[in-house]
Amino acid sequence: MGIVQSLRQYGKSAAMKATGMIGDSPFYLFNYLLRLLRVLVLLTLWRTLLPTHGATSGLTLAQVLTYTVVGEAVEQLLACRTWLEDAFWSGDIATRFLRPMGIFAQFTAEMLGPIALGLLLFSLPLLALAPLLGVNPLPASIGAGLLFAVSLGMAVAVSLAMEYIFSGVAIALKVDPYALNSLRAAIWAALSGAFLPLALLPPSVGRVFEWLPFAATASTPLKIYIGSGPTLFMLAMQALWAALLWPLAIWLWQRNRERMVSYGG
Amino acid sequence: MAAETRLTAFPVRILRLWWVYTRLNLLTLTRDLNSFVIWTISDIITNVTAVMGMLFLATRFQGIGVWSLAQTVFMLGYAALVDGVSALFFNYNVLYISRRIGRGQMDHLLIQPQPLWMSLLTEGFAPAYAVPMLVPGFIMVWWASVRLTHPVSLPAFALSLTASMIVLISYQFLWGSLAFAAPRAAEEINTSTLELMSQLKQYPLNGAGGLLRFGLVTALPVGFLAWIPCRALLGMDTSALSLWKTPCAALVLSLLATIAFRKGMQTYAKTGSQRYSGFGHRN
Repeated sequence: MGIVQSLRQYGKSAAMKATGMIGDSPFYLFNYLLRLLRVLVLLTLWRTLLPTHGATSGLTLAQVLTYTVVGEAVEQLLACRTWLEDAFWSGDIATRFLRPMGIFAQFTAEMLGPIALGLLLFSLPLLALAPLLGVNPLPASIGAGLLFAVSLGMAVAVSLAMEYIFSGVAIALKVDPYALNSLRAAIWAALSGAFLPLALLPPSVGRVFEWLPFAATASTPLKIYIGSGPTLFMLAMQALWAALLWPLAIWLWQRNRERMVSYGG
Repeated sequence: MAAETRLTAFPVRILRLWWVYTRLNLLTLTRDLNSFVIWTISDIITNVTAVMGMLFLATRFQGIGVWSLAQTVFMLGYAALVDGVSALFFNYNVLYISRRIGRGQMDHLLIQPQPLWMSLLTEGFAPAYAVPMLVPGFIMVWWASVRLTHPVSLPAFALSLTASMIVLISYQFLWGSLAFAAPRAAEEINTSTLELMSQLKQYPLNGAGGLLRFGLVTALPVGFLAWIPCRALLGMDTSALSLWKTPCAALVLSLLATIAFRKGMQTYAKTGSQRYSGFGHRN
């Protein structure tokens, strides 16, 4: 099968998922309201906490505001969700094996559909609206913008590896995905720095969190975007996490894929 | 005489049903060691990490704006308790009422030999699921209370907590009633509304601009879930009626929710559910 045909298949899968969500429930758009309100409240929080002039832990108020808006704009890319474990739980996984596509790839393609929709319907308008909220949405420099793109790609790689590891654990332990999803979402929100920059946490806590793989999924690209922190070191850490986590994700999948007979239904 | 009997019979029946649902809830949770351990641990971690970010920020900055560290922790604990008490009484998709309506499950409630309100008030009772939410909330409130300079009245705390819970459940029913009109489209609307309320309730709204703050106490009454009642309880709002703001909001919202739900039920009585095909699948 040619690469072009494969890409076409995955593109169609992504498009079907995206249009399906809108077609199934227009109230899906309500989620964007949630995200907008979260940004507005977080901007208010930072303006309450941080001084207008000067830096706190190396971050100025303007940098933190940009961090918050951009973080929200790319949040779906940073917190990759494929719902693989849900497909096991519902038994839907059985039909996935019948499709002439790789399992990881088809779930990833389906994840990218709604993300593209979100970028179009929410992220772009949010970035365009940012100056009206008193926030500069541009990167610290052109170089920072380019390195952000590289780092964002690696953040997605680390995030996807973690997604498949969580799914593998859920399948191995045969747990209700609801419990594990809530746990995973809460841990990610607290440790990744997606909503609260890690530098603004108590210093001892923030330093520890910076070394965890969760930071590689959100804190790193956002810090690069606003021109904060040692860029090359942070990129190297992301590459290291991707190199460590992907083999683990693949191993977990290979060990647990046969369990679907007893797990699904 | 008959009315008197009914009045005494209802509370007894509610207590009996709560006892039945407590046993069922415990049986579900303890069906095997694996599920029990994973549910309990994941719930505790989930609920602690949900407020961890704000706790860290409050620690780092010794509070949030005009809120001291103890006041912020009190508010976070209060917010966690609102979630916990709501999960205690309205679990199993009662809080997500749009799912029950949208999935055509109102029939399951209507065929029971008791009033609908009693079913809704009792069959979501799930103490085992609520404990991991209540415990961190109680710990935070207790930790903050012994450090606060302003004493918190226990009856006022209980009244505010009940009112906040009513605000939450009423808001859920208000939006959830949309599922009577659009069962498929609005089936999951309460997931978004609850997520919206849960995420935003832990932030003090002092710094919010007029329009945003107005929106967060009217269209999305998240302010009544922690910020407004805590300001009153902690003596930060010194107006004469400060303690009554949340109960008044609860009263207004519960009236609106009752009207919306009853109107929806009238539609349901005519159309019923069209979600299930003859061979049992939901379309």
